[in-house]
Amino acid sequence: MNNAQKQYLQAVTRRHFLARCGTGVGGMALSTMLSGQQLQAAGDHAALNPLAPRRPHIAPRAKNIIYLHMAGSPTQLELFDFKPALKKHDGKPCSKEYLDGKRFAFIHPQANPVMMGPLFDFKQHGQAGTWISELLPNIATVTDELCVIRSMFTTQFNHSPAQLLLHTGDPRFGSPSMGSWITYGLGSENENLPGFMVLASGGRTPSAGKSIWGSGYLPSVYQGTQCRNTGDPILYLSNPKGLDSTSRRRQLDALRDLNEIQHRAVGDPETISRIAQYELTFRMQTEAAEVMDISRESKGILEMYGAMPGVKSTADTKSVGDKPLAAADDPGFANNCLLARRLVESGVRFVQLYDWGWDHHGSSQPEDMKSHLPVKARQIDRPIAALIRDLKQRGLLDETLIVWGGEFGRTPMRENRGGRYGKFVGRDHHPFAFTMWMAGGGIRGGQNFGTTDEIGYYPAENPVSVRDLQATILHSLGLDPYRLGVMRSGLNSRLIGPTNEGKVRSEILA
Amino acid sequence: MKKFVLVMFFLSSAALARGEQEISFAHQIRPLLSRNCLACHGPDQKKRKAKLRLDIREEAIATREGDPAILPGNSFKSAMYARITSSDPDERMPPVDSGHKLNTDEIDLLRQWIDGGAQYEGHWAFTKPERTESLLVRDKAWPQNGLDTFVLSRLEAENLRPAQEADRYTLIRRLSFDLTGLPPSAELIAKFVNDKSPEAYGKLVDELLASPHYGERWARVWMDLARYADTQGYEKDRTRTVWPWRDWLIKAFNDDMPYDQFTIEQLAGDLLPNANSQQILATVFHRNTMTNTEGGTDDEEFRVAAVKDRVDTTGVIWLGLSLGCAKCHSHKYDPISQMEYYRLFAFFNQSADADRFGDEPVQALPSPFHYRQHVDILEKISIAQKKLKLSGPGAGHEAITKEIAGLKSQLNEKVHKMKLAAVPVMQELPEKSHRRTRILNKGDYLNPGDEVEAGVPESLHPMDGSFAVNRLGMARWLMDRENPLTARVMVNRIWSRMFGAGLVETEEDFGTQGALPSHPQLLDWLAIEFAITHRWSMKKLCRTIVMSATYRQSSQLSPELLKRDPLNRLLARGARFRLEAEMIRDQALAVSGLLSRKVYGPPVMPPQPEGIWKTVYNSVKWVTSKGEDRYRRGLYTFAKRTSAYPSFLLLDAGSGEVCLPRRIRTNTATAALAALNDPVHVEAAQALARRVLLEANGDAPVRAAFAMRIVTGRPQKQAETEHLVQLFKAQLAHYLGHKEKAVAMATVPLGAVPENMDTAQLAAWTVVASVLLNLDEILTKG
Repeated sequence: MNNAQKQYLQAVTRRHFLARCGTGVGGMALSTMLSGQQLQAAGDHAALNPLAPRRPHIAPRAKNIIYLHMAGSPTQLELFDFKPALKKHDGKPCSKEYLDGKRFAFIHPQANPVMMGPLFDFKQHGQAGTWISELLPNIATVTDELCVIRSMFTTQFNHSPAQLLLHTGDPRFGSPSMGSWITYGLGSENENLPGFMVLASGGRTPSAGKSIWGSGYLPSVYQGTQCRNTGDPILYLSNPKGLDSTSRRRQLDALRDLNEIQHRAVGDPETISRIAQYELTFRMQTEAAEVMDISRESKGILEMYGAMPGVKSTADTKSVGDKPLAAADDPGFANNCLLARRLVESGVRFVQLYDWGWDHHGSSQPEDMKSHLPVKARQIDRPIAALIRDLKQRGLLDETLIVWGGEFGRTPMRENRGGRYGKFVGRDHHPFAFTMWMAGGGIRGGQNFGTTDEIGYYPAENPVSVRDLQATILHSLGLDPYRLGVMRSGLNSRLIGPTNEGKVRSEILA
Repeated sequence: MKKFVLVMFFLSSAALARGEQEISFAHQIRPLLSRNCLACHGPDQKKRKAKLRLDIREEAIATREGDPAILPGNSFKSAMYARITSSDPDERMPPVDSGHKLNTDEIDLLRQWIDGGAQYEGHWAFTKPERTESLLVRDKAWPQNGLDTFVLSRLEAENLRPAQEADRYTLIRRLSFDLTGLPPSAELIAKFVNDKSPEAYGKLVDELLASPHYGERWARVWMDLARYADTQGYEKDRTRTVWPWRDWLIKAFNDDMPYDQFTIEQLAGDLLPNANSQQILATVFHRNTMTNTEGGTDDEEFRVAAVKDRVDTTGVIWLGLSLGCAKCHSHKYDPISQMEYYRLFAFFNQSADADRFGDEPVQALPSPFHYRQHVDILEKISIAQKKLKLSGPGAGHEAITKEIAGLKSQLNEKVHKMKLAAVPVMQELPEKSHRRTRILNKGDYLNPGDEVEAGVPESLHPMDGSFAVNRLGMARWLMDRENPLTARVMVNRIWSRMFGAGLVETEEDFGTQGALPSHPQLLDWLAIEFAITHRWSMKKLCRTIVMSATYRQSSQLSPELLKRDPLNRLLARGARFRLEAEMIRDQALAVSGLLSRKVYGPPVMPPQPEGIWKTVYNSVKWVTSKGEDRYRRGLYTFAKRTSAYPSFLLLDAGSGEVCLPRRIRTNTATAALAALNDPVHVEAAQALARRVLLEANGDAPVRAAFAMRIVTGRPQKQAETEHLVQLFKAQLAHYLGHKEKAVAMATVPLGAVPENMDTAQLAAWTVVASVLLNLDEILTKG
């Protein structure tokens, strides 16, 4: 029995306790005042505390999740899906079967696009002989933790809809994100911190905007809370200038006293919730500030991740045109990886990282696959390997699911934007095949699942859809992907969409 | 009548009707069938199992092999009953893997219904509202108008008494927020409280309805529905100019434009004969759909997405129906087939817009903002119009008419000479370029099926033969007297904004899966008052509601009542719920004296934390507005779809990407942190502290009482003042010893301490003011 499973049993007991004693103060504070209908929609969720820890549907394999999204979509052909055959076709015109009747974002099918072999070398690593790019030497050392899925595919080939589909189950706006669903389904383990936190690096937020961590049609209590690299780590977390913690305490005491007078006069239980809501701010200020302060880590740990507390990301300051350009030693992503570990350690359920800058079309310097991809790879290589190792040494890896990937893949052809080739090199959007990997809680590491054809155009074996991925993630966390939903106008609205085409891919799981 | 009596029993927590009573199909049986059976035995032909359909009586009782599914009068010979009671898991309905289950009470209810003859009736919301003048009640003195009899008769049936009328301070605050979205001014409070005439309340209502802020309050409600935003959405999320439409909206509400005209102009103003500039401006409503200018997108894909959005949004706003379900397959519960969805789609499929970079077609149009720049002429027109009203027929009359015409053309000329912004508008393609509309299989624009003609769903009222078969005809069809839904849906929406929940809780869903009305006759009564008696006047509808005794009840509640009716569905007390995001901010600015009351104009950028806007490929920056524009009402805040104003988002506002039929209220610690620490709120607290020092002369208790009074709008209690004084004294002592902190607390971000004010005092009062602005009473409408 791993830790997650142990805690599943404990949750049963705790739930009993909560049912008898009512929820804690913080619990009440977070109470949504849902109407009867909404409560019905929210199923059997405790009316008083929508974020109280809840019992999973099934025994979970993981308790928390760290999702590393490379926004813009990294090239699988330079990182994980080694195609020696493509090398042979390098520079040769692309065959008609790959162009006719196909849609591309920027490739001009009429202007004779050419095939492009892998730009970097690969070597085999780990027990399964997994091919990994020379750009990721550190990740290669933890190969045996990874289940590399090379046969992912999606239906969307523009960033914004593809990110929406992946994270909300719908290429259009308005649906709750995966993190919202998971905190809705499982609650949060730490009432002093938000249960779903979002960390962005790379100088931009993802193409689909903040809706990919929005709560859609679920109550906004389930929306992701963004941790920021500049200013307050959580919006509005620090007191105004000139107000110290003692003064804030006095303020909150007065507020409570006055609200109690109000409650005696009116008798509305909402007032009690309000008191608790404000009490919670005080604890959140203390705990969040502490958890988010990565400078509390030892020098050894900081070095292991390549984290640099307080160093401003170059992506926030340097750009070419409207595209940020971060240096290879930029600590933005490394800091976030370390922070992610601290957050799951403190009981945050879902930590979502977005790293911007992976849209390597070859149309400008920040999109150049030859010069800029190695920079991006360096920014993530060490921190990710460190994250996996660090979680492992703390006994947290087997209860934390890690997911890595983009929103789609990149073409085996070199992009010929505007019908010509310029000085930079890149690949266009490719929805038909791309690579993701999973590691940690419940994942059968040290394996490769699924393959693509010889040029990496389509999956050849074991194709895995976005819906499969979502179903598998929910299942790993102990949620039944078919059941996790709310009734809206008679439709059981779910992350995996209205049909049951999404399947839990048990081959990926331990 | 009998039916509704039974409904009351059914809905009552005290008395669930049992025994062999008449069963209501609409309120008891259909919800059961709908929830448990219709996904496989309902309107969707493709998903239908065993060729059995249970939502239509003829089909449910039809002869089949073996027993009919339902044999009226004999449950034991009904196959359906056998299946729902079967102990064989393979036989048992609903199947285990459907996730649905009938409990013994529900099974028993179905048995009684079958044995009683299995009577069906139409879905309540699809039949026209029926007028009941009023209901008989025992307490003849309580009702203020017809509305109250419906509420009271229900209360009397439950052996409950309505609450007493709220005190005047509570009433004026409640009214002021409901009608204008702002707290009442001190002058208005004094006037109302001291007005001993019996008409005092009615006069106050009329004054608030006439306020220019009335339009702002209801415009905000409509902007949620209309998915208003100042950007295009998706990846690049470029700025677009649509604020002139927002101003059109404010003016339409303030002018009390009738709801039918309001609807027709927004949906099809461009198709009206001789459409004027304001009627065209109204059509921006459906151009609020998103435009995707991400590189490498297929414009047709996102044009189709926008057209679908228009169908779905129209369905939610006017019909209270989730039409969107039918874009991929026939609706599983409501009688809307996939073909019918695309017939509605066809009405919207002929507009010229096509997901273009600059939102074309666009048109430079004057808006109320531009007209407002010529106040002098507007005033002359208004004076002339008053004169016209007073003058009888004759030469004088004619002269004034001429004068008005002259003034108007003068005004128009001036306005059209101004620099006008081009706004995206609806514009119909010429007939020869009309698009064909095809059913899209699974909703996929690359997978078109049969061609369809524009038309309305068969299960709803037919379209009048005299209406054109285009967007305009469709808009007229929505406002047709025969439409059972439009008036009900709108009165329910307005009710909900005032009471915190609709009579039908699912404001967006009046279909068979939606909630049932708590007071069906009241809903119909209001719908008919609105549509017929008041000829779609929204102000008169608001007036009817707020004049009722029901509305005026105190929201105080006893533990017994709380237990009996925690959600206040019976309305035995006044509503009490948290204010909307914009109201909380506007209130802080208003009581501190910072609020700008300027109406109309381009969006503004009040302070927002740094680094919020980091959109891809978009270099537009958030530049904090200066002067008065820093303190405009929340609805004027620049709305960027990918990055909504953060403190509003924390309080359940939407991002303007899709139609938001209602905001679900949540209370989180992060929202409370915003109200405590957001510079906007800190600034308001600082300004409030300055008011205290400037306007209240005296010792700390006098000043505390003053502060309490201007924030709450009511006389303070002794105990309250004491807590505030205690806090003030502790903070004063603290700041006397910490000068730097005092300066920061008193001045960041508001600015330097005014002359003759003591910094430590000011800092200490700022701390007190912040407490006042965060009181439960202040965040709540009671």
